[in-house]
Amino acid sequence: MVKDGDFIAIFNNIHRVMKAEKILKEKRLSMLLIPAPRALKSDCGLAIRYAEADRNAIEGQLGEADLAPEEIYRKDGEEFTRIDAPSE
Amino acid sequence: MKTIDCRNMACPLPVVTVKRALEESPGEALKVLLDDGAPRENVTRFALTRGFSVDEAELDGGYAILISGAAGETLAIKRQKSGETVMLIASDRLGDGPEELGRLLMKNFINTLVEMPEAPDRILFINTGVQMATEGSEVLEALEKLGNRGMEIASCGVCLDFFSCKDKLRAGTVTNMFTIVESMLKAGLVIRV
Repeated sequence: MVKDGDFIAIFNNIHRVMKAEKILKEKRLSMLLIPAPRALKSDCGLAIRYAEADRNAIEGQLGEADLAPEEIYRKDGEEFTRIDAPSE
Repeated sequence: MKTIDCRNMACPLPVVTVKRALEESPGEALKVLLDDGAPRENVTRFALTRGFSVDEAELDGGYAILISGAAGETLAIKRQKSGETVMLIASDRLGDGPEELGRLLMKNFINTLVEMPEAPDRILFINTGVQMATEGSEVLEALEKLGNRGMEIASCGVCLDFFSCKDKLRAGTVTNMFTIVESMLKAGLVIRV
């Protein structure tokens, strides 16, 4: 479900991820709720996938709604690269 | 003997790659280069459970695993004996409970099927389950991927008619109760979701 270059947002909370999906759907932004890749640890096992082109719109909306993802990764080949700054 | 390098691959990719390689050249021994830890354990377990012999040797930065034996046959026989795996999806929700959660779980269930090395041979949608295969469904991408891997997808015609969405079918074909009952009776395993 995840292509090279796709972005994956992890929320670690089922209510947050559901709320995030709802808000992004309402804004008609292109994304998909997917099972979190096994290589990434997600408490609720869900993640939101989106393309780089939609990154600003999606992360902007989530930030406004106070639903900033816990972690954001980009798929690079077989690896996932963490691209947000790890929380202090 | 073929050698494949599965080092630096994330799980479950080493197992998937090895499975494909074994299916492509049945009977031929296969040498697999693997990282230590989960990949080495998973591939070894996978090969042993399918009746292959496994020998391993440590190498610089990992392990070389030699898979041999005539398990290509065992696999084919096992498949013939057990018959098809048919999954019957009779709702657009997974489990009882809040509707929102049920829909989310069903979506996640189908999307997770895509990640599995073995998909069912056939998936049958009935009742509100047909909505998974029609326009607006959020699992169409997953169904397309499963379809490309050879999984057959069929939706109940009466149900599509009931929901007035016969012309909105976007994955698989229309089927009837005869075919549904027949494939369930003939199946080696029916998973009712």
